[in-house]
Amino acid sequence: MSLFEAGRRIRRPATLLALVMFMTAGTAGPYDITLLSTPQAPGARGHARLIFAPSPFGVALTQDGHAVYDMQITASGLPQPSSLGAFTTYVAWAVSPDLTGWHRLGPVTNGTTTVGHADLNKFLLVITAEADTTGASSRGPTVLHGTSPSGWLQSFLTHPLFRGISQ
Amino acid sequence: MSCLFRTAVVAALLLVPPAVQAQQPTTPPDTQSDMQGMPGMDHGMHDSTMSMPIPMPPGMPMMPGLKGLAPNVAPFLPGASADVAHLPVARASELARLKDGDTLDLTATLVRRTIRGHTFTMYGFNGEIPGPLIDVPQNATITVRFHNSIDLPSSVHWHGVRLDNRDDGVPDVTQPAVAPGSSFVYQVHFPDAGIYWYHPHVREDIEQAMGLFGNVRVDSPERDYYSPVNLEQTLMLSDLLVHADTLIPFGKEDPDFALMGRLGNVLLVNGEPRYALSVHQGDVVRFFITNASSSRTWNLSFSGASMKVVASDVSRFEHEERVPGVILAPAERYVVEARFDKPGTYALVNAVQAINHYRGEFQPEVDTLGIVTVRSEPASPDYAAAFATLRHNTAVSRDIDRYRPYFDKPPDKRLTLTVKVSALPLATVQFMTIDTAYYAPVEWVDAMPDMNWLSSSKQVRWILRDDATGKENMGIDWHVPQGSVVKLRIFNDPKSFHPMQHPIHLHGQRMLVISRDGVPVRNLVWKDTALIPVGSTVDLLIDASNPGAWMLHCHIAEHLGSGMMTVLHVDPHGGARGAGAAR
Repeated sequence: MSLFEAGRRIRRPATLLALVMFMTAGTAGPYDITLLSTPQAPGARGHARLIFAPSPFGVALTQDGHAVYDMQITASGLPQPSSLGAFTTYVAWAVSPDLTGWHRLGPVTNGTTTVGHADLNKFLLVITAEADTTGASSRGPTVLHGTSPSGWLQSFLTHPLFRGISQ
Repeated sequence: MSCLFRTAVVAALLLVPPAVQAQQPTTPPDTQSDMQGMPGMDHGMHDSTMSMPIPMPPGMPMMPGLKGLAPNVAPFLPGASADVAHLPVARASELARLKDGDTLDLTATLVRRTIRGHTFTMYGFNGEIPGPLIDVPQNATITVRFHNSIDLPSSVHWHGVRLDNRDDGVPDVTQPAVAPGSSFVYQVHFPDAGIYWYHPHVREDIEQAMGLFGNVRVDSPERDYYSPVNLEQTLMLSDLLVHADTLIPFGKEDPDFALMGRLGNVLLVNGEPRYALSVHQGDVVRFFITNASSSRTWNLSFSGASMKVVASDVSRFEHEERVPGVILAPAERYVVEARFDKPGTYALVNAVQAINHYRGEFQPEVDTLGIVTVRSEPASPDYAAAFATLRHNTAVSRDIDRYRPYFDKPPDKRLTLTVKVSALPLATVQFMTIDTAYYAPVEWVDAMPDMNWLSSSKQVRWILRDDATGKENMGIDWHVPQGSVVKLRIFNDPKSFHPMQHPIHLHGQRMLVISRDGVPVRNLVWKDTALIPVGSTVDLLIDASNPGAWMLHCHIAEHLGSGMMTVLHVDPHGGARGAGAAR
């Protein structure tokens, strides 16, 4: 297949978006999260942008120094929640990497929605189908998920650059 | 496909054997001579070469490929030819209350400073660290007779003050540098109430870091300019980089620590490692806080005390806000009020989330800077009700109203912040190429001081780039007519070799931060310094009312020393130039 032919086959917006996400994964800015779909909603696509919560100092921090972000989520291809079961809405969650802490951010729809606040150093952004928007924990299936940019931090414990360090 | 390119670069770099990483001699011949055996070295500079170990943060080992390397600059510490035993002991800042027409003699001198049992040779204005706290009424003009008695050329910049251009204190722009033993007379006019500061504009990475800074408090004639409080305190934040009993030397001919700036490991409030204050129960205290450190951005709070922010660089906020803490980038000032409502102690802390790049983890870092002791006697008067009120400063809003019609106009100037590096140690290049898969919007600590230390401004060039012309730094030819309202859009490029936040300072004018990343700022305040996080786009609206040649630069001292500056020419009414944005 020639490049020209390939170009003709990726005209569908969702396919284009997925390709762009693939090409930019790992090189996006410090505020960008690429959202990946799950088998529950294979046509769903999305991304999120972290925006510092309003602050007189330009950047927002908790007292112990965690950055506080509002989350601007852009989604497309989300099916009707009821098509996945007894659900009425989609909800965004900031989830600790070990999946023990779920912090409800707010309801999400197709299009762009701003929800807030996330104040975890590293977190997963998870969008689930839910029966309502007020639950303290998720009960429905995950349709989109992504990793905070800080998730790109890598351990150099065994890297050749630190060869010779014993810790 | 930049990720593929990045991967290819990393792979290629990792194929280079470690043996070729050591690019610089362990003990460069030209770094040996200046400091050893000098009388002034009793302040701890027993090992005066640059080959000394750099203090690493806990859990972060020095990279093997960097061991034995040294910065490619000669070492420098103040007072190499002075006998430290005969230097005067640095005194605490003293109040210099002046009125319109008064004269102040201000002398930069060598001083002896003991911190945690270790004695160092440092600098002070009039023998004080911080320098005298100048207190003047708004609209006063004072004469300052500056005399340079230190071992470097110097000057005095009146930070944030909209004064006459000739008195701005910038060598090669508004005056010649003041040579050691020479003097310069400044006429300083203070048109705006608030908290300002003064510091040299020559080798700030050395002179400011070693103690040459002081505050100016400009008092409004309005009795209720601020809410009533029981006590006022002026705090200047700084830090020192110390290893054991030794100050880490500075680069003699050029700044070292050029990548991140020098972040000290001893945090100081008013030059002291332990701030102390005693108040009554229920006292409301107004703190005028200035970040005088070279590179550190602070997140201050009083554990358990409620706090509200009142004012910043050049004005009060449109409305006061409750805040969990105070975030100050270098050169920024904030005025906050805190109420201490329970007897006991409150810790003044700097609390941030540091990154351990070795383990790829965040870790909390908390430094206790001091203690506020609250006695059980009740506050008198009791200002609890005033403290509970969040004031709307309508005068500020009315003043800003004149500028709101310009908020939505297209930018008059777009600048991109970036960096170019050359000849850095290979291990540094390898690590940073991989590690910048994630870059923090703000670097709160120096998590990689070894790499930072080994970078000098010979290798690192920080850049303000004019998007329209491609011109950089002092090559930018930027003129606007006096009276312009100039919209400046600054983008901090996250794809550079070492993305980092930049506190951008504009001399001699005032400006509003009107939006960040496209989100309008709702509570406005006049500023002279604005923090630009990595990857952010910030719109500034400049009230270009003060004619002259005014520096615009990053206030991280080592970034300034590595070129990150330009000049905004505000051409006077009737002047020949005028390419800017007219009203």
